[in-house]
Amino acid sequence: MKRDFMRQRVLLIFVGLVFAALVARLFHIQIVDGSYKQAASNNTLRYEVLYPPRGEVFDRNGEYIIQSKEAYDLMVVPRDVIKGFDTVLLCRIVDVPLPRMRSQLERAAAYSGRRPSVVVPQLSKETKLLLDELRLPGFYTVYRTVRSYPRKIAGNLLGFVGEVDGRDLARDDYYRSGDYIGRTGIEQAYEHYLRGEKGVKINMVDVGGVVQGAWQNGRLDTQAVAGRSLTASIDAGLQAFTEELLAGKVGAVVAIEPSTGEILVMASGPSYDPDEMVGRDRGTNYARLANDNRRPMFNRAVQSHQPPGSTFKVLNALIGLQEGVLKPNYKYECYGGYNSGRVHVGCHDHFSPVDLNQAIMTSCNTYFCHVLRNIMDEPEHGGSASRGGYDHWAEHVRTFGLGRKLDSDFTGEQSGNIYGSDYYNKTYRGSWNSLTVISLAIGQGEILSSPLQMANFASTIANRGHYFIPHVIKSIEGAEMDQKFYEPHHTDVSPEHFEAVIEGMWMAANTEAGTVFGRGYVPGLDICGKTGTAENPHGQDHSVFMGFAPRNDPRIAVYVYIENGGFGASTAVPIGSLVIEKYLTGATTRPDRVDYVKARKINYPNYDNRPAI
Amino acid sequence: MMMARAKHSSVLHGKVDWWTITIALVLMALGWVNLYAAVYDETRTAFEFSSQYGMQLIWIGISLAMALVVMLVDDKYYHILAWPIYIVVLMLMLSTLVFGITVNGAKAWLDFGPVRLQPAEFMKWGVALALARAMSVFGFSVSHPRDLFRVALIVGLPVGVMFLQHDVGSAVVFASFLFMLYREGLNRWIYIVLGVVMVLFFGSFWITDTGLVMLIVGGCAVGFGFTYRTWRAPIVYLASVALVSVAVWACVTLLAGVGWRYYYFLLATVGVSLPVCVALAYAKRMRGFWVFVLLLVGSMVFVSTTEVVFESLDLHQQKRILNTLGVESDPSHWGYNVNQSKIAIGSGGVLGKGYLEGTQTKFNFVPEQSTDFIFCTVGEEWGFVGSVVVLMLFCALIMRLVAMGERQQEAFGRIYCYSVAGVFLLHVLINAGMTIGLVPVIGIPLPFFSYGGSSFLAFTLLLVVAVRLDLGSGDLAASRE
Repeated sequence: MKRDFMRQRVLLIFVGLVFAALVARLFHIQIVDGSYKQAASNNTLRYEVLYPPRGEVFDRNGEYIIQSKEAYDLMVVPRDVIKGFDTVLLCRIVDVPLPRMRSQLERAAAYSGRRPSVVVPQLSKETKLLLDELRLPGFYTVYRTVRSYPRKIAGNLLGFVGEVDGRDLARDDYYRSGDYIGRTGIEQAYEHYLRGEKGVKINMVDVGGVVQGAWQNGRLDTQAVAGRSLTASIDAGLQAFTEELLAGKVGAVVAIEPSTGEILVMASGPSYDPDEMVGRDRGTNYARLANDNRRPMFNRAVQSHQPPGSTFKVLNALIGLQEGVLKPNYKYECYGGYNSGRVHVGCHDHFSPVDLNQAIMTSCNTYFCHVLRNIMDEPEHGGSASRGGYDHWAEHVRTFGLGRKLDSDFTGEQSGNIYGSDYYNKTYRGSWNSLTVISLAIGQGEILSSPLQMANFASTIANRGHYFIPHVIKSIEGAEMDQKFYEPHHTDVSPEHFEAVIEGMWMAANTEAGTVFGRGYVPGLDICGKTGTAENPHGQDHSVFMGFAPRNDPRIAVYVYIENGGFGASTAVPIGSLVIEKYLTGATTRPDRVDYVKARKINYPNYDNRPAI
Repeated sequence: MMMARAKHSSVLHGKVDWWTITIALVLMALGWVNLYAAVYDETRTAFEFSSQYGMQLIWIGISLAMALVVMLVDDKYYHILAWPIYIVVLMLMLSTLVFGITVNGAKAWLDFGPVRLQPAEFMKWGVALALARAMSVFGFSVSHPRDLFRVALIVGLPVGVMFLQHDVGSAVVFASFLFMLYREGLNRWIYIVLGVVMVLFFGSFWITDTGLVMLIVGGCAVGFGFTYRTWRAPIVYLASVALVSVAVWACVTLLAGVGWRYYYFLLATVGVSLPVCVALAYAKRMRGFWVFVLLLVGSMVFVSTTEVVFESLDLHQQKRILNTLGVESDPSHWGYNVNQSKIAIGSGGVLGKGYLEGTQTKFNFVPEQSTDFIFCTVGEEWGFVGSVVVLMLFCALIMRLVAMGERQQEAFGRIYCYSVAGVFLLHVLINAGMTIGLVPVIGIPLPFFSYGGSSFLAFTLLLVVAVRLDLGSGDLAASRE
């Protein structure tokens, strides 16, 4: 009996051990090891991204310049596709050649049998409805928005969106593969506001990947928040008009409202229709534009820089007045140019001698050579350019926003160039003087500036000594603009000195002897202007115009730079004056001038004769 | 006398083991509620009798009716009916070989129009009764070879048929009668050898052959130490074997410069040491020493043949064993079921996801979730707490059966109760164990939880007859007062 008792005990202990082992194992996988919970959510939870519509952009008059249109991506889940479905019919509906459809489907199948892939992106609503009717198993459409540029203007200014690349993904975890991001222009600069916030819908799926309902009744789901809409300072009508005038020419036009720094026009020629960068032909269009010798995707208004030419004389005059080495009534004689030692700076034919106003009006080179030398050789600043005179001058120039980036809201701004004296010390081994840099007197030589900087300079003159940082966006829906755009930046030339040079610029545009008058005079508008003819060693000179109007209470400041355009008066002046007139009066009174500009054919051998890239 | 007997054997007598009945009813109720969750489909909320939970409800009704019938039959009839039941069920099983239909690769089902029966499920009941009948005969002894052969025949016949049916899972269940046989005095060496065989079989996948030899020799030495209550001799033996084998191996490797494996030196040293040990034991008149020599040699031979045994298994059986042991892991193919099952249970956490909220089972990630892997739904929806409650109920049921067996006046009732306890224990161990990766996957049901009428009815009959036999003995005790 005792043996039986022992055996009974052993069996009970065995039973106990079996259940202890089961409970211990349960304890381990249910409580100690958390990895099973993660594995369970990986099994059942699918995160569906809800895409927000991208923010839209209006011009200063409330007209759409960038719109978000609804579009649909055709998706496929390869393993749900029924073999032998009517591929040809599908191809006809979505308008894709059969071989391409086949390769797309193969690629999707290679990626994953269970996860959806995009087959054809950006289909219209009509196509989507046709597809819905067809009800092909394994295919479905998802809502996306696609960009549309209704005015078809300002390609470089508005920019375009493109699919994100590896660098974008690494830099910002907002983006997922296949997302779109602003690549250039406003689309890039204001990406953060335009993109909105993506929503997420967490679905539960069964073992076959079929959605079975919302996770936790959608409590953790988030809605997509649409991107903010922007109001641009651009005047779409004026921009379109300017682009018409620029057609066939290489150059840039920038117009600014002086009292605010708002950019009214930013045109770069040649340009392109921004709608070309949307949709299915985007790839071919992009390749064509990228291979164009005239580089239409290069935004010359901010990304190019050149010697400003004679328009820069105005700045030398202002510095001279501020330094006291120039008075408006100072007269210099000019007989075909400026001569000092072995240096000769030629000048065109005009009356002599001239005072300051007349010098600006006639754009006399000799006069400004005297002015520059007087500034640089001033005794109180070392008495010589190389001993401080130059740096003192450059200091003044920089307060006008030249030689550095203006810090606008625009990306890809070119900083231009104003050297420090160290450059000349190095180049001439210390032995140089104001005569060495005499080209600076007439805006030639080492000085480089972008059209945006020069338009800002025009705006500064119009404001009599201060400017607001130029910007293309006026306001953001539901957000503050950066305060920096509302702060005036003062130059270190006193306001009272401006009236003298403005008088000269007014005379240039309103008296018959003036350089602007011939093709730039508009009665009653009080345009103040200055021509420029930038020397071009490679061909025709570049045609430049800088101006603003009206003289008192200026509302627009313009800078025009036309490559190979010849004299300032021949191309840049009519364009500039037409833009000013159109903006101030809403129309142009001189159809012959418009026709003249449009008919003016300029050859660009240095672009067009280059072998294709 | 007849009057008194009729009165006392009534179910209303009051000596029914209500604990067992209650536990069983609770398990049945939980089982059905859980089955409902396992096949639950949100899109079809109306109650349908054609669904699995509807069918199961019908089977529960049939089983409870049968239970009532069982309780009303006098306990003496089970002595008489034991052989007929055994033979009838065996015949049914044999008929499946001819008329049976194949489900999941096993030709083990009989089709009666609306109902399908799996006779193998009832065979456990038949064998339990037959064993109780055969072993309660006066003069029966499990130590006697002839009697042991009878037991082997009773168990072996249905097992043989199951192998013919390719239903290995059901055949494994018959190992559960070892539980009862131990109580009835089967030689404990059989259990020791079986234990050693299993340890060595599974151990051979984990440890190297050198380690296995060390384990065997060490195990024998420890066993020797326990048996003779002396530790000097085994320690001296182990130390000298280790010293000699390492020294010879080092010498050969360093001096002769031959890179033979240490394994061969260890094997040779053990081989040489055996005659020496036998001679010493003989001199000291240790009569039981041959057992250890046999164990050692047997283990060595077994280990060298495990490869052969393993290779003889089906591929899916091999893979299930390797997966459970963690030797191989391929959650997408062979290990898919167990991996998904562990995910379902593991994600349940402490308190579970709540009734009908189990995502892994609801969305069909776990295969066979209403039958073999029904425990996943318990683990996922009721969590650790719920799983432990269910396991503890089974544990209590088994303990109750053991207690009932012990208080029987007759060997028949004791043997039967222990048989039932063993069957329940093995089912719970294997079924729950495989869902949590403790035991290789063997497709057998969890009593009262898995979907299936045959098994539900069979488990009910197994249990209720035990209760009825227990009542009969209570009757005797009462009449003696």
